[in-house]
Amino acid sequence: MTDYIPQDYQPLLFQLVLALGFIIFTILITHVLGPRLKNAAKDAPFECGIESVGDARAPLAVRYFLIAILFVLFDVEIIFMYPWAVNFLKLGWFGFVEMLFFVTFLMAGFYYIIRKGVLNWEND
Amino acid sequence: MYPILFLSFSGLITLFLGFFQEGKWVKPATILFLAIASISAFIDWNKPGAYFFNMLQVNNFNLLLSLVILITAILIVAISDNFKEIEYAHSAEYYAIMQFSLVGAIMMTNFQSLIMLFLGVEILSVSMYVLTGTDKRNLRGNEAAIKYFLLGAFATGILLFGIAMIYGGVGAFEIDAISGTLASNQAQSLFLYIGLVMLLIGLLFKLAAAPFHFWTPDVYEGAPTIFTLFMATIVKTAVVFALYRILHQSFQNMHLSWSYILAGCIALSLIIGNLSAVKQISFKRMLAFSSISHAGFLLLGLLHVSKTADKSLLFYSVSYLLASTSAFGVLLALKNERTENGRSNENISVFKGLATRSPFLSAVLIISMLSLAGIPLTGGFWSKFYVLTDAANDQFFYLIVLALLLTAVGVYYYFKPIITVFEKSDIQEAITINPIFKIIFVLTTLGTLVLGLFPDLLYGMI
Repeated sequence: MTDYIPQDYQPLLFQLVLALGFIIFTILITHVLGPRLKNAAKDAPFECGIESVGDARAPLAVRYFLIAILFVLFDVEIIFMYPWAVNFLKLGWFGFVEMLFFVTFLMAGFYYIIRKGVLNWEND
Repeated sequence: MYPILFLSFSGLITLFLGFFQEGKWVKPATILFLAIASISAFIDWNKPGAYFFNMLQVNNFNLLLSLVILITAILIVAISDNFKEIEYAHSAEYYAIMQFSLVGAIMMTNFQSLIMLFLGVEILSVSMYVLTGTDKRNLRGNEAAIKYFLLGAFATGILLFGIAMIYGGVGAFEIDAISGTLASNQAQSLFLYIGLVMLLIGLLFKLAAAPFHFWTPDVYEGAPTIFTLFMATIVKTAVVFALYRILHQSFQNMHLSWSYILAGCIALSLIIGNLSAVKQISFKRMLAFSSISHAGFLLLGLLHVSKTADKSLLFYSVSYLLASTSAFGVLLALKNERTENGRSNENISVFKGLATRSPFLSAVLIISMLSLAGIPLTGGFWSKFYVLTDAANDQFFYLIVLALLLTAVGVYYYFKPIITVFEKSDIQEAITINPIFKIIFVLTTLGTLVLGLFPDLLYGMI
């Protein structure tokens, strides 16, 4: 096994300085040499070639978020149900009771949503 | 263990109570549920053991912590006013979320497996993000909620990464297993050190210790006062005892490594907290910076692995809980004082002329400020005394000196509200106080004084 002394790493240091120097040099030189163009087409935000319309901060209906959250409620249920269904025989009654608890909690949430009137499309 | 199960169900019941008679039973029911949960903690009294596949550990000290958290929650719920201040308030949901968040807080004090710690932190934090943003029409509240959520989620990510690193180093999540591995004198894996530092970052963020404190003033100011109180008391207590369990019961053999990190955080918290609080105009912002400095003091109690650390920390937490509840409670009692823009006046100037308008409220405020400053004859003095005694050691002697110097700075800004109380004001009308507020104020103020006069009542009992 060969022993290394700090001087052996001199080329590495040299390369590091060179690499950094090159980066700094190019960043600086582009600012000096680059032509400065300013027109409306260049200042416009790039939108895949399509002309941009309106403000990016478009308001979305709160209902949209409610639907998204409702979707997550049932999505998560299925995510948990699938592995349980696969191992149904192995988990037996213990798994069944645990699942009942889970579904009860979930359905309590669903019932709460209905009582709150989230699914009333006609209102407001 | 039983409070956790009970509160999970009672939270759900509270949600549905909101539909019943326009939700007027929600608040009394919540107090009842919390009382039952506190009593249910006694089922495990004198029966230490582990639950849920050795993920939760129950012993008398942990039960005592659960009780402190639950009783504080009862005090806070009692002085909440059904959220009439908030437009489009769903008060049943807020009370339900408060109960769910307590589940997280209790898990954080009773955990045995780091996974349980993570779950507890998440349950508590997610609830707090929601509660911070409850005042939807208040721009400050929105800003606070977004800031708290984004930064908090990031901190939780670091915490989880730290837990994964520790698992990489030890191969176990249980804090007993970690301390067992550390006790065997082998060279430790590097991952263990990285993991511990990341775990500390995550928890110190939740504790609002510098340099992870940047969210604190904005969030404390933006959140509705009642939830600011919740954050300042319950979250802090839960996190500090989670840190106690990790540092003193799990990583005590790595004391040399973490004590320097802690010392740095303490020094920064004390300096930033105390010096920034001096020039605050808003009372809530001032208390936010004061809470940063109190985080520093709490960490000071963790600095040395000593037998009395748990006692000192519990004493500090209890006296801080009592004083904070009084201080924020007085602000809540004065919430009908408006500024020009129609919002509640939360500046220190709101206390102007309080001495003539309501001598009772001014006495409560003065005693709580004295306790927070650490003046003798209040609980705050003894809590600082015990914590500093624990930390007194040749190695970190300069920290004690710094803490004492900055306590003197603290006296200056805690006296600002007291001086304002005695200033003359144009408004002379007396303030009417809700009888429930009166009872809570008498309890917290008497508690502060009793702890100041007879500290051994609590300190000797533990």
